[in-house]
Amino acid sequence: MSIRRPVPVANVRARVLLGTLLLATLPIASVAAQELDPLSKLDAPSKFTVQLLVDSAQAAGLPSRALMSTALEGIAMKVDGKRIVAAVRREYSFLQTARASLGPVGDEELTAAASVLEAGAKPAALVAFRARQNGRSDLEAFTIWADLITRGVPKEDASTAITKLWQDGADDAIFHSLWNNVQTDILQGLNPGTALQNRIRETPGRAPPGPGKPPEGQQENQSSK
Amino acid sequence: MTEPKVAILIVTAALLVPASRGGLAAQLVSKIDAGQYSVSDGVVPMSTFRVSPAVQWLTPYAHVTARGSAYLTDQQVQLADGIVSGTFTSPTVYGVRAEMIGNASRAVDDRSLGTDQVDVQTRVHVLFHQHGGVWFGGGVARPWRIAVISSAEVADAGAWGKIGETTARFGSATMTATFTNFSFSKIASLGDSGSATTSAASACDVAAPSGVASSTPLRALFSESAASVDACSRQSRFADLEGSVHWEAGPLELTAQTGHRFGNAYDVTPDSRQWSSASATVWLTDRVAIIGGGGRQPALPLRGLPARSYGMAGLEIAYSPMSKSAVPVSLPHAVLVHSFEMHTAPSGLQKIVIHVGGVETVDVMGDFSDWSPLTLVRRGRDLWELSVPVSPGVHQINVRVDGGPWMAPPGIPTVRDAFDGEVGMIVVQAPKSDR
Repeated sequence: MSIRRPVPVANVRARVLLGTLLLATLPIASVAAQELDPLSKLDAPSKFTVQLLVDSAQAAGLPSRALMSTALEGIAMKVDGKRIVAAVRREYSFLQTARASLGPVGDEELTAAASVLEAGAKPAALVAFRARQNGRSDLEAFTIWADLITRGVPKEDASTAITKLWQDGADDAIFHSLWNNVQTDILQGLNPGTALQNRIRETPGRAPPGPGKPPEGQQENQSSK
Repeated sequence: MTEPKVAILIVTAALLVPASRGGLAAQLVSKIDAGQYSVSDGVVPMSTFRVSPAVQWLTPYAHVTARGSAYLTDQQVQLADGIVSGTFTSPTVYGVRAEMIGNASRAVDDRSLGTDQVDVQTRVHVLFHQHGGVWFGGGVARPWRIAVISSAEVADAGAWGKIGETTARFGSATMTATFTNFSFSKIASLGDSGSATTSAASACDVAAPSGVASSTPLRALFSESAASVDACSRQSRFADLEGSVHWEAGPLELTAQTGHRFGNAYDVTPDSRQWSSASATVWLTDRVAIIGGGGRQPALPLRGLPARSYGMAGLEIAYSPMSKSAVPVSLPHAVLVHSFEMHTAPSGLQKIVIHVGGVETVDVMGDFSDWSPLTLVRRGRDLWELSVPVSPGVHQINVRVDGGPWMAPPGIPTVRDAFDGEVGMIVVQAPKSDR
């Protein structure tokens, strides 16, 4: 007959604490190791290909950060490695095309133009943006353009409208106002193409001079209420 | 003016000052409750004006909270209690999340005696589709200044679930059930007849659980206060089963809880067997609410505090209200996000401002965060903010509430992303000097 010895209270306490500590640290340790390399969650072949494309972009003077961002978005969305590689390849191709259309422009312009191409615009439509006044930014125009196509505005209509406004000297506020009006009409049930045609007629090409222009601070970035 | 008064006034004023300047890494939130507080235990005045400031420092994986309360009596400010709490949370991996929690607290039960306690606990949470979950954990609580209580082993488990939506006609309700077991050694003395402990004469006669020496003479163990009395050590154990419901609809929040304490008569006093309490909050604005409530609290043997009934009515002023729920909840619907703004803050960071009501967490992620989620800080009842460094240019951004699906924020241009989802596009202008 065996005699069961009492377990000291201190030992029980130590075991409970040690066990819970171990449980708590396991996920932390594994995640900490993964965070050292942002692409570590990709399978080896996909990671290799993405890294190759990023290096190629750097060598070609294209914004490699855009490619890395696409890969990281895919990882965050838990997308399959093959789809991530395909998306990064496509992005690389859009950046190359944008560069060919726009000429030597900054990384931000190239990235924004690539999003227009990805939305479905034709590369030839970008050529109108080659010529620009000193200090004028086309980022807002590209963003609105991509959005309009995404919302269902016919690609040709969207390209024509945005290009015309740009050539007429429209500023960011005018582009944003057009977008705001069109998206409101679409949300109210109007056909996207019709909404753009209606609103483009009442949109001035050039920002009104003088006191009618809103203060700079109010134009900064975007917001909704 | 006495020093405590000055300190309390400074802390109170500081808590109302907009505090977020930390950007991506950390945020500060704060609130103050003030009002009339009545209690039946006799250790604080029956009815007193009470001020309870609280401040919380938040990072994605760590929270540090400090809160306290003081009451005004006989034209003097008297500290009542205070706690500093730290929680470290791991990322959620396959619905599993770990937490390490540490607390240091003081409860002052009259003007000459305060009890301190340090406790450490770990928990493992399992989340079910963000609408419910379970957790379990354990730890150790070490009371100080209570000579008759040893360190206590604490084991707890719980479950929670949420039904409804805040925007629905009848709002949403979160139900929580917890079971907490306390196990500790208690020194019962012949002279001890306090309500939080039991009559030692009887307690020493009770057979201790297996493995614990029962009725051990303690003269040799305690050389100070306990040495002068006849005493024995016995293993004590009790468990609390608690249930709570938090209902939220429009500007109204109601919370009700009830509990039952299991344990033998030597460990649980009759007035701590069952308890219930309720509170109501009516939000007048984003940052100001009327609060009221009352009920009964059980004894806290580890703190030497007796059971008490209480009632309170007052005002809550919050620069950024703290979450009232202890568990994560979910309302994953884009329509809840009423508005989204991003503009340049004076610090040069980009300030993200989102209006969404009735949720527990709001996250954003985009290319500027390398597609890692950043948690916004609640600045009002439906106001969430975060300041982040974002370089000039076009950026992609998505938002989610309560851990739900990612979606493009409302009110900004949206495009299809590379993975058949939608993502918001925002243009950050270069500073004027750079143009």
